[in-house]
Amino acid sequence: MLKISPEEIKLITKYIYDISGISLDESKKYLLETRLNTIAEDQGCSSYQDFVRKAKADATKGIERKIIDAISTNETLFFRDTGPFELLQHKIFPELIDARTTKTPGLKTQLKIWSAASSTGQELYSVAIVLQELLGNLSKYAIKLLGTDISDAAVAQASSGKYNKFEIERGLARDKLSKYFTLAGQTWKVNDQIRAMANFRKLNLMQPFLGLGKFDIVLCRNVAIYFTLEDRKKLFNKIADILEPDGYLIIGSTESLTGICPRFIPKRHLRSIFYQLK
Amino acid sequence: MTILVADDDPVIRKLFESRLAKEGYEVTVAADGSEAAELLELSPFDVVITDLVMPGEIGGIELLNFAKEKNDEIEVIVITAHSSVDTAVDAMKKGAVDYLEKPVNFDELFLRLEKIAEVKALMKSAGDLREAMDVTESSAALTIQDLEITNSRLGQLLDNLERILGDSGQDEIQRIEQALQLLESR
Repeated sequence: MLKISPEEIKLITKYIYDISGISLDESKKYLLETRLNTIAEDQGCSSYQDFVRKAKADATKGIERKIIDAISTNETLFFRDTGPFELLQHKIFPELIDARTTKTPGLKTQLKIWSAASSTGQELYSVAIVLQELLGNLSKYAIKLLGTDISDAAVAQASSGKYNKFEIERGLARDKLSKYFTLAGQTWKVNDQIRAMANFRKLNLMQPFLGLGKFDIVLCRNVAIYFTLEDRKKLFNKIADILEPDGYLIIGSTESLTGICPRFIPKRHLRSIFYQLK
Repeated sequence: MTILVADDDPVIRKLFESRLAKEGYEVTVAADGSEAAELLELSPFDVVITDLVMPGEIGGIELLNFAKEKNDEIEVIVITAHSSVDTAVDAMKKGAVDYLEKPVNFDELFLRLEKIAEVKALMKSAGDLREAMDVTESSAALTIQDLEITNSRLGQLLDNLERILGDSGQDEIQRIEQALQLLESR
């Protein structure tokens, strides 16, 4: 395996920060080596210095994309941590639907939900399943679910709605699996009705949020932990800008906004926390 | 590891039984697919080794499907005659972990079984780690929730105190009294 030399570690972590905002320190040398080795070898690189130089010089940005795919891949699963989904089902959805129905009587009730680091789509499809279970007939609603991620590979898989048995088994109860997925060969595919509710596209959370509009619910779980404190502040400030005044923000269960964004206040429901604008 | 061997040939069955037991595996044998299926109903096995061609309603492929249906973690090795390798490949597409050609080379079989044991051990330790992580995560989450809510309440309290104490419309005694009231009602 190609090793990262002490001189190269700063070079490579700086490059990764520049392209993705992901902040890694020198202790992540081994992780970087295991995740980047194959790409570096495919490029015929003799060192990581050479690798970074090649990646920067690549006008197609193909190498950059591969690096982002390799670095940003993280644990994700259906209904990861049941708290947020119970929160959505029992508190947030009923409250929001009530508020939105009163706001636009006679019209379709609108709901816009954003999964800000959607990875391979499990979180957003879980949200779609909760909505489907809760509302039954969705024809009275205009629901928009947006999933964004920095990795092209993750966005592509999320869009395909296809999962292998390891990805599907954990977190997803049997009844939901057979109700909302179809097995084709070794692959489980999310049913069209759920698939059609969600849209996925590439977005780097470090960039401005242009043309996204306002959201009723933003899920931004377990991604800000990879950013510097400064970048976290900027990120949650931008989220505050695109959240409806009575909208909801859900972050990871071990994350906190203390000292990060005073525009949000935490509220507790049962065993979960959500945030709303002051 | 517990192993179930299904083969209609009594000589081969006996051979499997003694060789596997000698290697330290817990072996159970079945004379055909139906008997093997009945045994699978009764107790879970880690590995099923089955001949692809057996008389009766349940052949090797049917037994494979039955075992996988029962528990996906059961690994199935199929035994095939040289002439029917295509069927063995088909079995692997249906979830068999491996196939061996007749006559069975036991050293090869033992190697495959060791690999299966290694993978099972890794899967188990990954599962254990995940569980430990989940416990740590949920306990940390509760602590963080408490801190987050308390911190936010104290922040609001400070804002209110600042507002009361800075209210130049009232004299100082009144301000202090109100501030103390606020602190007591906390």
